[in-house]
Amino acid sequence: MSHKLTMIIVKPGLQTTIQDLGRSGWQEFGVPVSGAMDRRSLRLANLLVGNAVNNPCLEITLLGPEILFDGNGLIAITGANLSPAINDHPIPLHLPIKIYAGDRLSFGKYINGCRSYLAVHGHWLSPRWLNSYSVVPYCDGFPSLPPYIKKNHHISIEYLRLPEKEITIEKQSIAESIIEVIPGPEFHEFSQESRSQFGNETFEITNQSNRMGYRLKEKLTGPLVTRSLISSGVVPGTIQVTHSGQMIILMADAQTTGGYPRIGVVRSADLDILGQKKPGDTIRFKLIHWT
Amino acid sequence: MYFYPLGDDALLINFEQKINREINQEVAKLTSYLRKKKVDGIRYYIPAYCSLTVGYDPVKWNFTDLTERIRRFSDKTYRESLEYNSRFWKIPVCYDPQYALDLPALASEKNVSEEQIVTWHLSCKYQVYMLGFLPGFVYLGDLPETLHCQRKKQPRMKVPAQSVALAGAQTGIYPSSAPGGWQIIGKTPLSIFNPENEEPFLFQMGDQVLFYQVDNTDFLEIATLDLVNLKKLFLSYES
Repeated sequence: MSHKLTMIIVKPGLQTTIQDLGRSGWQEFGVPVSGAMDRRSLRLANLLVGNAVNNPCLEITLLGPEILFDGNGLIAITGANLSPAINDHPIPLHLPIKIYAGDRLSFGKYINGCRSYLAVHGHWLSPRWLNSYSVVPYCDGFPSLPPYIKKNHHISIEYLRLPEKEITIEKQSIAESIIEVIPGPEFHEFSQESRSQFGNETFEITNQSNRMGYRLKEKLTGPLVTRSLISSGVVPGTIQVTHSGQMIILMADAQTTGGYPRIGVVRSADLDILGQKKPGDTIRFKLIHWT
Repeated sequence: MYFYPLGDDALLINFEQKINREINQEVAKLTSYLRKKKVDGIRYYIPAYCSLTVGYDPVKWNFTDLTERIRRFSDKTYRESLEYNSRFWKIPVCYDPQYALDLPALASEKNVSEEQIVTWHLSCKYQVYMLGFLPGFVYLGDLPETLHCQRKKQPRMKVPAQSVALAGAQTGIYPSSAPGGWQIIGKTPLSIFNPENEEPFLFQMGDQVLFYQVDNTDFLEIATLDLVNLKKLFLSYES
């Protein structure tokens, strides 16, 4: 017999979305890749509760939601530490935790990181589009698409039986702040001054940063690449430099094409590090040779 | 063609960096050729005006080897031999004042009648240079020079879905309602994006498009058709 539980979103929090590993393959039609900003944490959360690694999770940003569980189940939280608690009792990260009907999950004080991932064991009965449960940016007005989460949103989950073997993993560090970057198509057009600034200085993430892109505070100086480029396909991790020298790192929900000079592209694994950075955090870039 | 790494799992192929039909068709041809070859380990293609972005599985390919492989395809085979059937759409547009939100201002700015703007817009066949910006948004070119225009100084918070609009040397169609700064001169009754359809997008890069004018009555009738029928009614092929 199958079991069912429902998560009732009592308070949605700052930005809580359903995410999986996204929908790659449709960029040529302008569909962003989307998916978790920290894919490693999403995979780990799913492993902990015995799900497939690309199962959807709730991606929870800085100020967590309040969730009521209507049914028994198994959950795990990874990524940022936003002081999760069940019925006001703190619970640890990186451990599978049984929950019971009537339990209330809440979040409290900010400890570290930017995004938590909440995995729940079982099959999520949420809308999917192009093989992904991730909400589709820039697509208002289509009720059949995966929705943004609002107050009183219900997410139902079905499962046969909870896994018996307890999985443990090593605690993950999210303190890393060195981002490896492969030189971009226009890298060599930038002046020696800009390039050395890019490779040696520290950059702060501004509050004009979200799932589409991070804007950095310190601008590149010196002669910049100001010729206008004809738009071409870009990927999450692309670091665009605007004509004023501001850098924008494209993130999971970025548009699929862009027309700014690209000084570099973040190594795909290091996007997970960026996904845990919040406005005010600083990063450094390390250029790596790539063939 | 110039090849650049775009991170550790994608590469960018730059063709001659110009916006024109021939170069854009070369991009379409190379994309369609590579797609037919079903190269194992290629995850996606993003063909654009004069470039092709190729996403790959870094376990199966590295930049150097994939560049080599694609260059071999492109040099020998594809240029002369490829048969390429371009899809050709005839797309209805209604230029009624209720849809053509920026037509009066544009006409007065150019010091011509609204009819003249419409005539110019209908006067040539466009090519889908690329999709981007929003899921299903099509960039079509080239506009007749008389229609070239600036984006609006104050972008709209919500441009209605299926609006037909102008900016720079291009015309475009909004797939969904979204913020945007293009000058809106009409609306197509065709839903160019329908997420519930197996093929959600009407257009693909490289398609040819000719607009024709419909009145409000026809607009409402055509608007009831679904995407499957749209393909039957409004699509043909030319080689």
